[in-house]
Amino acid sequence: MASDIQPATQPGAPARVTIARADVGLSHAWRLFRHFFVRELRNRFLGSFSGGLWALIQPLVQLAIYSFVFVYIFKARVPGADAPGYVPFLLVALWPWTAFSESISRATTAIVDNAGLIGKVAMPRSVPVLAVVASSFALHTFGFVAIVLVMPLFGDPAHLAWLPLVLLVQSMLMLLAAGFALALSAMQVFVRDLVQVVTQVLMLAMFAAPIFYARAAMPEWARGWIDLHPFTWYARAMRDMLLHGHAPALVPSLVALLVALVLLGVGSWLFHRLDPHFEDFL
Amino acid sequence: MSAPLLVEARGLGKAYPKVSRRADRLQALLSLLAGGHGTQRVPVLADVDLDVRRGESVGLVGENGAGKSTLLKLITGVLTPSTGQLRVHGRIGALLELGAGFNPEYTGRENVAMAAALYGLSADEIRARMDDILAFADIGDYINEPVKHYSSGMVVRLGFAVVANSMPDLLITDEVLAVGDENFQKKCVRWIEQYLDQGGTLLLVSHSMYHVQKLCRQACWLHHGRVQAQGDVFDVTQAYLAHNERKGAGDAAPALANRGEFAVLGMNLNGHDARGAPLQVESGDDLRVEIELHSREGREPVCMVGVVRADGSGVYGVSTEMDGVPVARCGEDRYRAVVEFPRLALLPGQYAIRGLALDPEGVRLFDTLEAVLTVRGHSRESGVVRLAHRWLGVDETETPA
Repeated sequence: MASDIQPATQPGAPARVTIARADVGLSHAWRLFRHFFVRELRNRFLGSFSGGLWALIQPLVQLAIYSFVFVYIFKARVPGADAPGYVPFLLVALWPWTAFSESISRATTAIVDNAGLIGKVAMPRSVPVLAVVASSFALHTFGFVAIVLVMPLFGDPAHLAWLPLVLLVQSMLMLLAAGFALALSAMQVFVRDLVQVVTQVLMLAMFAAPIFYARAAMPEWARGWIDLHPFTWYARAMRDMLLHGHAPALVPSLVALLVALVLLGVGSWLFHRLDPHFEDFL
Repeated sequence: MSAPLLVEARGLGKAYPKVSRRADRLQALLSLLAGGHGTQRVPVLADVDLDVRRGESVGLVGENGAGKSTLLKLITGVLTPSTGQLRVHGRIGALLELGAGFNPEYTGRENVAMAAALYGLSADEIRARMDDILAFADIGDYINEPVKHYSSGMVVRLGFAVVANSMPDLLITDEVLAVGDENFQKKCVRWIEQYLDQGGTLLLVSHSMYHVQKLCRQACWLHHGRVQAQGDVFDVTQAYLAHNERKGAGDAAPALANRGEFAVLGMNLNGHDARGAPLQVESGDDLRVEIELHSREGREPVCMVGVVRADGSGVYGVSTEMDGVPVARCGEDRYRAVVEFPRLALLPGQYAIRGLALDPEGVRLFDTLEAVLTVRGHSRESGVVRLAHRWLGVDETETPA
């Protein structure tokens, strides 16, 4: 006969759980991902007045505001003899940042937003999170490429030959964002005010990264700190390629790749550790 | 050789975390991250062993909070068990609280595509089956409206239509038949029966013993998170009903669906109008029950006769649908069924005879008419009915050498 119902958490009691089920399969997960991806994109177009132009308009408005504030009010200039104009300088770093920060803040609530679905249908839970990241990047990369193509209007033509490599760097940035997104979306299930914190931290991180200013313009003591910022390398790499027409330095690039992969690994580990308990807390 | 196992659960248990205070969630998060079990937990299911083989139909019964839905969610994979082993093979089509999983902002068509993708259909399969799904759901132009504008019945229709067309190896339904209008219920029942005939496997949660008995051959009774009884559907449901009867003796007459569509017009017991004075019969007399029913739109109702004791506990019930006999039409929307109980086996006492009107599928009860019947006699036998029996003679009882 079975014993009485015991509380499942006995100190030191091993969780003897085995689950085996017919595997969901990668092709199924991929199909789901595509569905979520398309849905996410459509979602953003359907409700908004600007429709498909959203990807362009939002960062453009942002750019206009920042340019006005920095160029006309603060008289910001990029240091150096053959320095590019401030607007091109700003936009090649601002656009990737928008994709990065927006994908993270949107993906943080991806699990909670889909609580209804997750509570009713068995599916790989990372799918909605990754779909949000991917769709944000798809949207803003599209806008980024478009704005880079018309950059001569802002003063300096971009080095378009580097565009393929720029896209590669953008993909690296997406991996980094996915790592953050997986970790944060899983924790958001447990701690619901996390998303507010994330938004604030992202705002702070935007000003802490050399997006609005050049790293070189900072005092010596601050540079070491700036280099620790995960976005610093990306801002620099984008400027190196698009504004100066040369490749980013090799060693920092490899370090950045490693950082992106490690963060992705940590994010997935954390996600999968919490995943079985989502439904209990949703 | 027995059919392959689709579900194999051993000692399955589930405990939910206690999160009453805000700090509990944070604590649970930290504990889980550290590889622990989270915070204190409340067990809702424990030591459940359940096997479901291909081609079986299993009904899960039990009171509210017995853990039925939790068990289904574990099998579906929505929940992760806290203890025990669970093996699931094959594709599961699950309708947990129907239609859920739909996004209210999207149109029915988009939701169907999404749901079908979730059930593992490819884009081509979805396209190929879309027409079938829409035909089954039968909600007309609403399909292009956002689901938030749907009635709950329409959501149910759409949900069932998707699952029905996803060809699951194992169909899991949770109180599906309780929602949706009568027409659609019938459609679902018919579809499930057909699905079972074709070798499908069913795991059904329902509070309607009628549905459980109609659709399932096995049953499992969960009580306070544990399996109380398991086996043949009739044994289990009767044990469950008896348990309920003991708990609340006769406090609830069977709930009636909206009366009117099908109704009991009148009942005659041995030629006496049931609405008149109570009929008295001798134990062992014949009893002839005539029931007149009303129906609408020429749809032939199912007639049921029930014998209950004075306290409301059932003695016997049988319907025209169970016995496969038609009811006779006797005028515009009027039907008549006559049943004879030769040499009534009821022991002396007070009984009530119930005439019941059900819909043509025999699924929903619409109306009841009750008449008191007194059985007289001088028998000292105890119980309710006389069972056929024979005492063996002295020479017969000896075991042959």
